[in-house]
Amino acid sequence: MSFLSIDHFSDYKVHGAQRPDFSPYESNGGSIVAIAGDDFAVIAADTRLSSGYSIHSRTQTKLFQLSPLTVLGSTGCWCDTLSLTSLMRVRMQMYEHTHLRTMTTDAVAQMLSITMYNRRFFPYYVSNILAGIDKNGKGVVFSYDPIGHCENAKCRAGGTAGPLLQPVLDNQIQLKNMNLDEKDKPILTKERAVSVASDTFISAAERDIYTGDFVEIKIITKDGIESMTINLRKD
Amino acid sequence: MALAEICKISNASYMRPTAWATDDVNELKSYASNFENPYTLAAPPFANPVENLNKIQANADKTGIKIEFDHGTTTLGFKFKGGVILAVDSRATGGQYIGSQSMKKIVEINDFLLGTLAGGAADCVYWDRVLSKECRLHELRNKERISVAAASKIMANIAHEYKGMGLSMGMMLAGYDKRGPGLYYVDSEGSRTAGNLFSVGSGSIFAYGVLDSGYDYNLEDEAAQELGRRAIYHATHRDAYSGGIIRVYHMTKNGFKVISNEDCEMLHYKYQAEKAAQ
Amino acid sequence: METLLGIKGRDFVMLAADTTHARSIVVMKHDQNKIHQVSDNLMISTMGESGDTEQFTEFISKNIALYKMRNGYDLSPRSAAHFTRKNLAEYLRSRTPYQVFMFVAGYDAQEGPELVFIDYLANAKALNHGGHGYGSMFTASIFDRYWHPNITQDEAYEVLKKCVQEIQKRLIVNLNNFNVMVVDPNGVKKLDTIMASSLAA
Repeated sequence: MSFLSIDHFSDYKVHGAQRPDFSPYESNGGSIVAIAGDDFAVIAADTRLSSGYSIHSRTQTKLFQLSPLTVLGSTGCWCDTLSLTSLMRVRMQMYEHTHLRTMTTDAVAQMLSITMYNRRFFPYYVSNILAGIDKNGKGVVFSYDPIGHCENAKCRAGGTAGPLLQPVLDNQIQLKNMNLDEKDKPILTKERAVSVASDTFISAAERDIYTGDFVEIKIITKDGIESMTINLRKD
Repeated sequence: MALAEICKISNASYMRPTAWATDDVNELKSYASNFENPYTLAAPPFANPVENLNKIQANADKTGIKIEFDHGTTTLGFKFKGGVILAVDSRATGGQYIGSQSMKKIVEINDFLLGTLAGGAADCVYWDRVLSKECRLHELRNKERISVAAASKIMANIAHEYKGMGLSMGMMLAGYDKRGPGLYYVDSEGSRTAGNLFSVGSGSIFAYGVLDSGYDYNLEDEAAQELGRRAIYHATHRDAYSGGIIRVYHMTKNGFKVISNEDCEMLHYKYQAEKAAQ
Repeated sequence: METLLGIKGRDFVMLAADTTHARSIVVMKHDQNKIHQVSDNLMISTMGESGDTEQFTEFISKNIALYKMRNGYDLSPRSAAHFTRKNLAEYLRSRTPYQVFMFVAGYDAQEGPELVFIDYLANAKALNHGGHGYGSMFTASIFDRYWHPNITQDEAYEVLKKCVQEIQKRLIVNLNNFNVMVVDPNGVKKLDTIMASSLAA
């Protein structure tokens, strides 16, 4: 309990001694957008890696292909992203050796949640979005909070420009508050998903200093993953 | 394998696959220690995680580091002659930002046990999952479903074990067992108490108002469901942290039933129209 | 804002406890029992940090039950109070102290009645009358005024009623009901709950 901390025993304080604040996190910026379709999933992330006002890299991918049907997008504190994604890779490898089969996207989603919760008291400072094809062949997107709360969504934006991008997706993909009849809603095609995803990034690069340079888009279908890169502002 | 277990030779070093016993692998396993035992979470590299995480939060303006967990928010449950009603909203907020409008705040632990979640979403979901494992194990060991009292006790013990570490949970467990309908409130302070009527979360004060004024143990099923729905609706209307879809569940002696999942906006216009018609 | 009261006579001890269960500004329950019978001749009333109270009371009462199973006879109230205090003191110096306030009350054929006040710092004191919580501030003088060595159970109950009346009159918080239990040579017995409505009558 807090009354046992040394701060409460003022007589025992050593004059001149200071305890520096422990600050193990840094925000390295970047944004992710993922959209799930009927038989595909699209996930996009910019490639800028920065720290404060300086840009470390303009070509750092933030999309991690974990299996032929699963891609994880991860931003936040880059060192946490690296340790989390490599841990995920190893655990998936172990699963494959033990069970002789690749983890399904649903299983990866659950494992990611548990892995992140393991660090409940010293969280991974990351914004994760997982996209892929589930065991029924449908496109799925899962989003996470820093301690592993997982939610299945149709489309999701995360990272520094997440709050900027999510309303665009709500409007363009989910068609929220448009009072459309079910039959009037356009079918979400792969092409539309990709163009909405790239448009959101072009907009985000205009307003978020941590988003820019390139956007990498991965289109996941049962037949494999298709990659493409689109230019963004580089200022 | 059974014989090996009785003779305890599975513990012998030559029975272990060497590849899994190296230091590297053991270190690796420690990074996901809760896979094998859900109760062993990684220890933080500092004392008092509540205070230290708050310090990191306090510098958010300077560093841009904002660790905001999803938080849940108006939930209620009450017992009446027809069983137990649970009703919840579906908004999850991380600070001011609405992280989700479609969160499932009622967790189906099994057919005869439901849990509601308020507070830290990850905390509630993770420990509910652990609880459902324990409940299933109880069923397999004893050939009998676990009582609501015992299930809630497991949860309270977990919460008490982690008390002071900063978990944030306020949950109700509703179920039906040999003793009839059961409703317990359990929170991250470690308190556990049975009752007829509870509401938890930031919108609870508003829900209590509607609930207390309309509650009667002898309500009919439909009226009881509507009371729960109404109470949550009024909470979503007054409390900014509550909103989205209003979910109503009904626990009966035959297991739970999902009564409705309605957008509170639709309900708003419906109730407005009813008021205007009066 | 909870309140516990205790009063001792020649051959009995009587405990009273309010029945609210509050969390921040909300009263979640109006019928929470805070007086627990531990054995045939022993009871404990607890208040304090929610969670800790239930967990610690259960820990103590189950251990006292275990003692009886192992030895075939009950711990005397004096020993039980000592056991409780010792555990509380040990936990106080651990990483996980229990913040509980309690009364241990019992009757023993040899040692007579015993009422022990224990606070969260594991201060323990055998008393003739006492209280925990904000409500107890108003009742200290009432006990001083009306308590006497030969007080009967009926008188004690009346004194507790006066205490409750005073709490309901002067304390800012609304504590409606008080459960009352008594332990005497015949064992533990629950008395009528003192309620605002019954006081008015």
